Amino acid sequence: MDCHLKNSTFKEFSGLVFDQTGVRIFYRDEWVDKLKITLDAYSVAVSEALTRILSGSDLKVSEWYGDLVVLPGGGLLAELPAYAQIADKDVLPVKKKEAMTASEERYLTGRGSGVTQTIIIGRPGENVANNRVKALGRVIDEETGEPLHFVAVYITEAKTGVVTDVNGFFNLTLMPGTYNVQIEFLGYARKKYLFEVYSDDSFVLRIRKTAVELKEIVVSGERHANIRAKEPGFDQVSMKSIKTLPMLMGERDIIKISATLPGIVTVGEGTAGINVRGSSSDQNGFYFNKIPVYNTFHLFGFFPAFNSDIIRDLSIYKGYVPAKYGGRLASVFNVTSRQGNRKLFTVHGGISPVSANLVFEGPLKKDTSSFLFSARSSYSDWILTRIKDPTISNSSAGFNDFSLGINRDFRKTQLSMFFYRSYDRFSLSDLNSYDYYNNGASIILGHNYTNALRGEISLAGSQYGFSTIDRQQPPSAYRHAYKMGHYEIRADFRHVLNEKSTLEYGSEMIFYLLDRGTVLPYGEMSLRNKIELGVERGIENSLFITHQYDISSRINLNLGIRYMVYNPVGPTSTCKYMEGAPRDPRYIEDTLIFGRNSIIRWYHEPEIRASLNFETDRDGSVKLSFNQMHQNLFMLNTITTVAPNTQWKLADYHLLPSRSNQWSAGLFRTLPKNGLEFSAEAFLKLTRNYSEFRDGADFLSDDPVETAVLQGNHRAYGLELYIKRSRRKLEGWISYTWSRSFIQVDGNHSWFRINNGEVYPSNFDIPHSLTAVLNYYFTRRVFLSSILTYQTGKPVTYPESAYYADGSPYLDYSKRNFHRIPDYFRADFSLTLEGDLRKNKFLHNSFVLNLYNATGRDNAYSVYYRTQNGMIRSYKYSVIGVPVFTATWVFKLGNYVSD
Amino acid sequence: MASPVSDPLFIPVSGCAVRISDDKKNQFAMQESQEEPGVYEVYIDSEHLTPGKSFKINIITPDGTSIQSDFDRMPPCPDVGDVYYEIDEIVSQYTGQPEKGIRFYIDLDAADFTSRFFKWDITETWEYRVDYPREWYYDGTVHHIYPPDYSRKVCWLTQRVKEIYTLSTTNLQENRYSKFPLNFASSHTSRLIYGYSLLVEQAALSEEAYSYWDQMRINGTGLGGLYERQPLSITGNLHNMTDPDQEVLGFFSAETVKSKRIFISYVQGLEIEYVGYCTPVLLEHGFAEITPSDYPAWLMGDEDNFYMVLLSDDCVDCLFYGGSNIKPDFWPY
Repeated sequence: MDCHLKNSTFKEFSGLVFDQTGVRIFYRDEWVDKLKITLDAYSVAVSEALTRILSGSDLKVSEWYGDLVVLPGGGLLAELPAYAQIADKDVLPVKKKEAMTASEERYLTGRGSGVTQTIIIGRPGENVANNRVKALGRVIDEETGEPLHFVAVYITEAKTGVVTDVNGFFNLTLMPGTYNVQIEFLGYARKKYLFEVYSDDSFVLRIRKTAVELKEIVVSGERHANIRAKEPGFDQVSMKSIKTLPMLMGERDIIKISATLPGIVTVGEGTAGINVRGSSSDQNGFYFNKIPVYNTFHLFGFFPAFNSDIIRDLSIYKGYVPAKYGGRLASVFNVTSRQGNRKLFTVHGGISPVSANLVFEGPLKKDTSSFLFSARSSYSDWILTRIKDPTISNSSAGFNDFSLGINRDFRKTQLSMFFYRSYDRFSLSDLNSYDYYNNGASIILGHNYTNALRGEISLAGSQYGFSTIDRQQPPSAYRHAYKMGHYEIRADFRHVLNEKSTLEYGSEMIFYLLDRGTVLPYGEMSLRNKIELGVERGIENSLFITHQYDISSRINLNLGIRYMVYNPVGPTSTCKYMEGAPRDPRYIEDTLIFGRNSIIRWYHEPEIRASLNFETDRDGSVKLSFNQMHQNLFMLNTITTVAPNTQWKLADYHLLPSRSNQWSAGLFRTLPKNGLEFSAEAFLKLTRNYSEFRDGADFLSDDPVETAVLQGNHRAYGLELYIKRSRRKLEGWISYTWSRSFIQVDGNHSWFRINNGEVYPSNFDIPHSLTAVLNYYFTRRVFLSSILTYQTGKPVTYPESAYYADGSPYLDYSKRNFHRIPDYFRADFSLTLEGDLRKNKFLHNSFVLNLYNATGRDNAYSVYYRTQNGMIRSYKYSVIGVPVFTATWVFKLGNYVSD
Repeated sequence: MASPVSDPLFIPVSGCAVRISDDKKNQFAMQESQEEPGVYEVYIDSEHLTPGKSFKINIITPDGTSIQSDFDRMPPCPDVGDVYYEIDEIVSQYTGQPEKGIRFYIDLDAADFTSRFFKWDITETWEYRVDYPREWYYDGTVHHIYPPDYSRKVCWLTQRVKEIYTLSTTNLQENRYSKFPLNFASSHTSRLIYGYSLLVEQAALSEEAYSYWDQMRINGTGLGGLYERQPLSITGNLHNMTDPDQEVLGFFSAETVKSKRIFISYVQGLEIEYVGYCTPVLLEHGFAEITPSDYPAWLMGDEDNFYMVLLSDDCVDCLFYGGSNIKPDFWPY
């Protein structure tokens, strides 16, 4: 406990003790009324504090069943049943059933840190039948009043753990009795509780941030999370955990950091989009507080489209995906923001070479309602003007983003609203210009029907759009604007049946509205045709249920099914091609017209999701999973990365939804003594109806999209190794992934083949990927961190021979992706100097010095050939081929830990 | 024949039997050129060359491989529109520095034509001069040519611009295009000093031929960058009939070609920054510095005297730069 008292009464002291630790002190007023207490101490054990206070008086303190008794003269007699009876009647609401264990006792009387607080759940006598108790708990930050997500609550006796949800809730089903409970959450003091469980009840646990346990990078919420979490292929990155990692130009990117975990890669700098388990980047679903976000990056992918300062954590499902999520084949990224301080108004911000950001938060109604506002804007043009090339120095680029979150707790209901906008623009000299935006809003209404049944209704809408002006050549100059909408309503229920079974069920309905826009001539000189690319609509309805079942305390099964019905709907018209003929405009036989709201096709199929978690011993587990997914929309992308003007396309009359089966198996092990954690996972993912593009596909032309898209099979497999060391002077993690990713497009007509129907590596087939994230703490306030990345070069198509035509040499290219660019290596370092760690201060400063690409390696982004003046020249293109040094100043009101 | 990428070579195949046939079953056997082995030519009477007809080619190589093309239809070609230039600046691919010059443009008006696919071949010719006439030389003794020999002082260089210029008007409302950019002539070369002529040959192509050349253009120039695209795997219209699995590179096309020539003697407002390659060498140790392999060694001088200054070929022989000292007949002065 912390104690700062001056001339206080003993009553105030004992109240403080009870508030902080839950330890009761029994005394009579007349014994202590003369005491004046002055004590200033941090993290002092209660018994020690009491002994110090009482020294000099004739009172003695004794420990009694977890509480303390103050008696004049001698200490408490070891056995005094009568006294206990009296105390029971007078003070204690319930009768204790068990005495504390020796270790619990030690927490009270021994070391200063860690004091056990007793939580009483229910009332004795209410549960005559001695039924299992269903309890609903909630974990809240003591200082800010914010509910906490992903807090691990571990019940020692039951050998089970639960993790809190977004609103800080967790469910327990326990037999009446007394349990030792541990709570662990990164950045917070580890806390132990004694749960006295009588009958159904709800309760709140308050935990407080710690400024002491600074040196900690925890990627999976808790040390034992790997063993206990029931879902293989699940990762969680909390913003606090990446506070210490190197940044580029002062921007911290939680999504790029996820690429340091096994199975996730980015193919070089400036690539918007990441590849999970050998899958294309459009197979990842990003949700920001339930708002689907279709473009998660600013400025060519160098910066995240989210303000890092409001993000609390990111959870990634890449192996087993619970049935409540669907619609993407490779992964689900859930980004959750903080909810805002419920007790105090605070402001913080940061200034980096490219952007400035500001966060403002505070209570709307103390303890029950809060808001969180963030704004960020760039001023990066000055960097571009310093570059010699006139094309670049005459360019400009910029971005901004805003968000506002409002949360409110009613008695049993929680309401959250979240609004989000991001905007990007850049113009390349007078050649072309782009801008794009995400707009989104979500409203989530959660309700606890009973202590064992919680429901959530959410409404989310998101719009993504871009516009391009291309004026490289006045006669063919054009502008094009694209926008898409994703509107969904969903209901989720979580029903704890008993201590072995939990059901999660619900439904989801999504309406997609894709306005592919119109290509319009730009400028008076332009002769460009006006081309209407059309509007597409689709409705995706899903029902899902998951049964989480503990077969034994060591074996846990998650079995889920999701049934999805997808309908592309009219009004639209579609070309019908001659039977068996290529889908080429020349073979159009007929045009099918679909009226408003008429259903064009029915696509429906069940998806099975299963995972089995077997705890081999206290420190290890084996996990198996099988996962089926469907995806109804994909990107029209002929380039290897994601350009800002990449269109999305719905599955339609000709193009089928893609579907995948994924098998994975994993081995997890912790070595708590060494602070080590280890995992190995293997996966195999088979995808059908994977969309690839014909050579020279042009999605701004008159031709229907299906004339440029071919669907084939995709196969990815790999092995992921991960080792982590935490809570040491040198800590961090190393991940290594071996994986392959192949595509085969082999239709029954040569038109329907790519690469002659032979298997070829995908653009993101990266066999070896090794990442090391290492931090070294010189002191608590000065630390060096590093990220080292090595990857096999990505596959490319290279020329294999040269020949002459019309007097000039030309190149003949290899089969698709037959070669690779040179391997990628990069080392980033950052040195952080934190301001002092005083708890009570107005402003906290930190300075971060960053070195990006320290070795200055000229990593090839691509290698290509051009024929110039009749000579074939080869070029290597690097995005950042030099070390980049930046210094960032971060300030915030409050101390180091305040958000 | 194809060659390795690292060492691109023109490897002609001599001794093939080549014939062109049209869709009316007329056949025209081609003859191999005497001067350029591997180049085959035939003169076809214009009565067989009406736009709208299709042609194909058959080749039998000396080792007996038979190669055949698809038929390619020959579309009619509109007249060449205005060709003009503007002063422009590019970043030099050699020095990385900006350099000025002129960019040529062409207007296309094919409103009365059905052809939608065009290709331009550009041939440039310019006059250049070396710094000195041939007057004095040393080959053991000093000789004086009088009057000085000016025949190697002025030359004309003609070369194809090795870029592909293709245009499709299918995405445009009208079959017209203005200011289509062509080649760039830099002020850092000898091109724009004494006169420059540009021959524009405009061909109307079939869609297949256009797509072949346009893909070649994209592969040759359009790759690289942050948002790079895949190189295209380009298939021509030639097939190996003997071994169908063997790929044949290239494209046989039947094109109607119209041409236009423009001439530029002086570019207003453009400063020429060409310095030339001639560096006279002072013979500090006299003729001893000249070896017989240098004979005839040209010397600087005037009507009466020579100086001990050696002029290498790049100072006195314009043929050294690859041009011809015979004035082209289209040269206006």
